[in-house]
Amino acid sequence: MKKPSLFTICFVIFILCWVFLRFFIGGVISKPIPNSVILMYMALVFIAILVHISVEDTRFREFLRPIHETLVDENRSTRRLVFAVLIPLLMCGFTYTNIAKKANPPGDPRTVHPTPPDNLMYKDIVLGTMDKAENPFRHYEKDNPEAYKSHIENGRTVYYQNCFYCHGDHLDGKGHFADALNPLPANFQDPGVLPNFSESFFFWRISKGGPGMPASGTPWNSAMPIWEDYLTQDEIWEVILFLSDYTGYKPRTFGEGH
Amino acid sequence: MKIRNYTLLLVILGMFSVVPFIFAQDTADDAEEAQKVAAGKEVYEKSCAHCHGTEGRGDGSAAENLLPQPRDFTRGLYKIRSTESGQLPTDQDMFDIITEGMPGTSMPEWETALDAKERWQVVAYIKTFYEGFKESETPPKEISLKGKIPYSKESIEIGKELYTQFACYECHGDVGRGDGTSAPTLTDEWDYKSWPANLHQNWNYRGGNDIDDIYKRFVGGIAGSAMPMFEDPAFGLSIEEAKRYTQLDNKGEMTAAEEEEYTQLEDKMANAFEILDLINAGEGDEEQRKFYEESMKTFYEKSWHLANYVKSLSPEKRPEAAIGKNALRSQYVEGELPPMDDAAWDTLKESYFPLVGQIIVEPRQFNPTIDSVSVKSFYNDTEVAFLFIWDDRTHNTSEEENEDTGKTYEDAMAIQFPVKIPKGPTSPKPYFLWGGKLAVYLWQWQASAPQEITELTAKGINNATVQDVQTDIQTDSEYTNGQYRLWVKRPLETGDNKDLQLKPGVFVPIAFSVWDGANGDVETKRVISSWYSFVLEPVPSVKRFIYPPIVALLSLGLLIGLRGFVQRRNTE
Repeated sequence: MKKPSLFTICFVIFILCWVFLRFFIGGVISKPIPNSVILMYMALVFIAILVHISVEDTRFREFLRPIHETLVDENRSTRRLVFAVLIPLLMCGFTYTNIAKKANPPGDPRTVHPTPPDNLMYKDIVLGTMDKAENPFRHYEKDNPEAYKSHIENGRTVYYQNCFYCHGDHLDGKGHFADALNPLPANFQDPGVLPNFSESFFFWRISKGGPGMPASGTPWNSAMPIWEDYLTQDEIWEVILFLSDYTGYKPRTFGEGH
Repeated sequence: MKIRNYTLLLVILGMFSVVPFIFAQDTADDAEEAQKVAAGKEVYEKSCAHCHGTEGRGDGSAAENLLPQPRDFTRGLYKIRSTESGQLPTDQDMFDIITEGMPGTSMPEWETALDAKERWQVVAYIKTFYEGFKESETPPKEISLKGKIPYSKESIEIGKELYTQFACYECHGDVGRGDGTSAPTLTDEWDYKSWPANLHQNWNYRGGNDIDDIYKRFVGGIAGSAMPMFEDPAFGLSIEEAKRYTQLDNKGEMTAAEEEEYTQLEDKMANAFEILDLINAGEGDEEQRKFYEESMKTFYEKSWHLANYVKSLSPEKRPEAAIGKNALRSQYVEGELPPMDDAAWDTLKESYFPLVGQIIVEPRQFNPTIDSVSVKSFYNDTEVAFLFIWDDRTHNTSEEENEDTGKTYEDAMAIQFPVKIPKGPTSPKPYFLWGGKLAVYLWQWQASAPQEITELTAKGINNATVQDVQTDIQTDSEYTNGQYRLWVKRPLETGDNKDLQLKPGVFVPIAFSVWDGANGDVETKRVISSWYSFVLEPVPSVKRFIYPPIVALLSLGLLIGLRGFVQRRNTE
């Protein structure tokens, strides 16, 4: 068998890299990768090939030889004809599909972490600054486990009477009302949720709900009710205790992790 | 001789010595079971008690707002069983329900939250709430799936006829949307309201929507609900005979021959029911038993046909919500927009908008009866027309106090748009619940005025005002077989700055509120959606025919140029 030309080898490597990214990495190993990411990697592959072939002058000539032949060689007129038809046809089809593509509605860009206000409020009462306001029941965890437990139990009742419709029986954001909401309700089983925020942050999100979101970083589209209309201060702090007790994740305390 | 005696003695002694071990094994089993129950109690109290109650009475702290109510385990009545009517469920049945949950209710799947061992422990614990589990010595009798009839067009046809014969329509309605005449009056064993299933929404079937599941619900019944233990009204008749019987029954005047045939069939049935009673009382001779078994076989056959028919009523799976590529796209037509009954509507695919109870502002709706609204739309150069379709089991046109069904209100629907379309993806939309600082523009429709749409402007769910200037919005609607169809036509532009103005190619937020009067929906108590998108799909531009050939020619030119360049360089 004739040794394949340098051009063929490079071409095959290029295609193999694409297949590897598209179907192996984005299929067997993980979920499909976005096209933009594939494009980035393929650009790298292209540059690598370019560097490889242009290191030596002879190698570069060797690489160009088949293209050269196809373009001008007398013996290659059939191949030339095939390419002269195929390339314009491909370009034609490519342009058509791009123009005829339907527009999709704008995606919802979303800031995951809204910036809380400076002061923590319950209705009109200022409970302290955001970084100082504390869960009044938290200290029982150390000095009175019995009382701590009873507050968690209260929190459990609050949760199952108010929150579980959307946030779910398993606290995973998959309640029986969740599927009609966009964005989806918070998933407290996600290790990125409770440990990343302070209890005062959760108090703010629960008491003021979707309408209490800051003016920056819109659109929020949150369906979270204003719970201070229904729950007392104590109930909100208790349900936060319950969230952390049930999931085993502790909200962040200020001074930690900075 | 002596030795042999000793041997015998030894053997006997040996045999007795095993006995304590057998008992020990028994106590070991008991101990293991007790341990399992104790472990199950712990899991139950953490994961189940808030709905089902610490005593298993279905009265946990969350129960108040739930319908269907959480199961009361103390009565031994289980809806979803693989066992025959009147029997307890198998352990596997209970395990499966815990694992998979009950669609359309607040019972979630527990597969992700509890491991299999924990789920079995819970089963063991739940069984302690009802004495009957201990007392029953024989295992519950499971429904046999033998003789299953394959899913086919013919079987569906037969099933459809049986649907009428079995009088399923009385509760489930003529075409199965749960809108039967007795639907509003049904309650369960505990006197809670119980709606018959909408057979067109099989994603809400509590016990799964496989044909086998549906078959088991027929043969075993749904204990504690209004779905009865099943009885064949034409017991003893074959499928053909039953068909003939119904035919004759519906006939006004019969010939003498037909009269005789009819009487014969009636006698046959009466006889069969007599035998059925005998067998149920534990009596009956060999021959009668044989007849009974034959008739039961026919009954099972009928149930398979019926299961196939019910399966055929729903789509393969729940439609995908109208998000992203599924967004509602209004299609361009030239000339007049089709009226409500025009066949042109059938050519469009529906966009599906799931709805949930409004639980943000009092009064709230925790137990919605309306699953979704489906929408289609056409537009032309000056107008847009929408067709809104939603299932509602009852047609309520006014506020009524009813002895059987309690207080009902009027059915209604509101379609919500922003007054101003957000400029970009990061521009804020009005609050999804009828606006806030940013106002929304609403089309309000009520069942008592079926040909009328009122335009509202709202800045909050309790802050809506009827617009002074009402655009001429053409409206048509109908209620048939448990389904509303509402047709609305409006000019694209109205010249009123309080109205939404429409242009092709611009995505517009859209949301819905629907009221089911029979479910107590009134004012803020309703089902809602959050914001979705719709667009007047631009007419495909002619550019798509012009640009591609130009590009093709250009690339051909480039190739020829390249060849010329290379040739010239070669000659140099």
